[in-house]
Amino acid sequence: MIQCEKVTKEYHKGDNVIRPLDGLDLEIPSGHFLALMGPSGSGKTTLLNLIAGIDSPSSGTLRVDGLDLSGLSRGKLAAWRSQTIGYIFQLYNLVPVLTAYENVELPLLLHSMSRKERHRRVAGALDLVDLADRHSHYPRQLSGGQEQRVAIARAIVADPKVVVADEPTGDLDRDSASAIMALLQQLNRVLKKTLIMVTHDPKTADYADQTLHLDKGKLMDGRAASSGSALDDEVTP
Amino acid sequence: MIAPKFIPLVLRQLLRHRVRSMLTLGGVITAMFLFVTIQAMQAGVSAATQQNADDTTLVVYRKDRFCPFTSQLPEYYQSKIQGIDGVRAVIPMKIVVNNCRTSLDVVTFRGVPLDAFLAVRQEELHLVDGSFELWRHRSDAALLGETLAARRGLKVGDRFDAAGVTAYVAGILRSEEVQDKNVAYVHLDFLQQATDKNLGIVTQFNVLVDAASDLDRVARAIDDEFAVAEHPTTTRSEKAFVAYAAADMVELVAFTRYLGWGCIAAVLTLVGNAIVLSVQDRVKDHAILQTLGYSPWLIGRLVLCEGIVVGLLGGGMGTLLAAGVIEWGQFSLSTDGLSIPIEATPLLLLTGMGISLALGVLAGVVPAWQATRCEIARCFRAV
Ligand SMILES: Nc1ncnc2c1ncn2[C@@H]1O[C@H](COP(=O)(O)OP(=O)(O)O)[C@@H](O)[C@H]1O
Ligand SMILES: [Mg+2]
Repeated sequence: MIQCEKVTKEYHKGDNVIRPLDGLDLEIPSGHFLALMGPSGSGKTTLLNLIAGIDSPSSGTLRVDGLDLSGLSRGKLAAWRSQTIGYIFQLYNLVPVLTAYENVELPLLLHSMSRKERHRRVAGALDLVDLADRHSHYPRQLSGGQEQRVAIARAIVADPKVVVADEPTGDLDRDSASAIMALLQQLNRVLKKTLIMVTHDPKTADYADQTLHLDKGKLMDGRAASSGSALDDEVTP
Repeated sequence: MIAPKFIPLVLRQLLRHRVRSMLTLGGVITAMFLFVTIQAMQAGVSAATQQNADDTTLVVYRKDRFCPFTSQLPEYYQSKIQGIDGVRAVIPMKIVVNNCRTSLDVVTFRGVPLDAFLAVRQEELHLVDGSFELWRHRSDAALLGETLAARRGLKVGDRFDAAGVTAYVAGILRSEEVQDKNVAYVHLDFLQQATDKNLGIVTQFNVLVDAASDLDRVARAIDDEFAVAEHPTTTRSEKAFVAYAAADMVELVAFTRYLGWGCIAAVLTLVGNAIVLSVQDRVKDHAILQTLGYSPWLIGRLVLCEGIVVGLLGGGMGTLLAAGVIEWGQFSLSTDGLSIPIEATPLLLLTGMGISLALGVLAGVVPAWQATRCEIARCFRAV
């Protein structure tokens, strides 16, 4: 369960105050698939960053499973992220000097496990995203869709409870995009990950259980999505 | 520092800019090569000129003379010196050098009376080849210091020429004494005959004293003895004598210390610059790692390790290279028949490695600290 109470984020630029989030209240139950929409600059990425613990609110409280993130030091927060959060970026953000395998292995290096166990998990994650034959490829040798699948494997390999995705299909063609969405839906349905996804595309948002609209740092009236059932046939493998 | 599983990550980052890393490494190798060579010279000078508490050798030289050509003392002084209280043994010595200037390839002949010499020195001299018998029985026989033999590639049975003297190699000797390493010991009368035919004249006396604490007193007694003679003397401990006679060279070598420090500064800035550049290139990578749960502290340590790897690798290669060249060349600085060997001792190698490590750490500190300061959200937006 993710709880935001009166969460505000402010940036000061000289005398100007930019407030991407302004007293936002939000509750996301565990296992939920939430889509966030809104115009550019409305604070979507900022909200994801707060939930993922890579940025902290200026005021208000943010709890994940009861834990108040604002009370944690940078080091503790990092450890918490490695246990709890998988982050998927619009531009994949793979480390260019590492192979697909090594990129996926990165989060596991933080956990105490044998090399063999790491191998089992990395291979499993790459298998899940259908890239079992691309272990030794570097990011530059992969297509955008493949890179994003590596990024998804990396996000879930350490088995986090929450996965956040910032416009995960924003840079992909239709076919790659629907493959990615099918994967994300599988993460939510089968692996029971809480999934929070930012998107510009209403069709993509339809995969989610619920879509919320952000505007000027506040949530507009939400509307319950039709549980994505209309699209099930299209994407279930 | 970091768990071994992170090491491939560190190496990958270093290989990211191959050319840049290679250039850095080349610079570090060169600088550490110079540094270690300079250190070896410094160490050689210290060993040759710094007196130990248990040194018991005095050198009696003609007063106010600096060169073996001009220091001439009558051989009969031997018995007078022998009579002084506290003197254990006296070895008259004629010194002939093929080159009186400072040079890297000097052959120094020391002509000594066999019996007096062997009585005093035989025990501490270890022959790696040849025999004392052979040396005793051939009038032109020479015992070569190990360094000299190695430098000239001489073996027992060889003949060699230097300073107009042709000698026969009867043995190769190993000795702890610095001045033994680079000389050829020959019979005194042979050397006198072969050079200036100045029989009855020697260059110096080496005097063994019973107790190290007696060194100064005996030295004064000797000089007092000959103060008003035709050939007055100056007596010093052997190390002090080297420091005095080779003062120009010692000063020059002391100056190279600053060059050594320059090398250290070069390594520091080279490695520091390389790591700073590469960290600035990788702001985004570090933000990604932090997102995945890498703590700023861990990222800082990863960066620090890059400095250590470059420092140790480059420094290690430079150090070994220097050691190899020194070992292969068997160099020694010689002036006026005194020699200051340049040696790559294990301690020196260890020092070279230690300094490389320290420099790597030092060079990595600033970029590592910078890397820990990155706030993730801001770093993503910065690129
Ligand atoms: N580090 C920052 N400094 C200043 N302004 C920022 C910073 N991060 C975000 N902003 C501003 O906050 C607003 C919301 O940004 P963001 O959350 O990225 O919007 P979205 O993802 O919805 O497009 C934007 O106006 C952006 O310029
Ligand atoms: Mg955004």
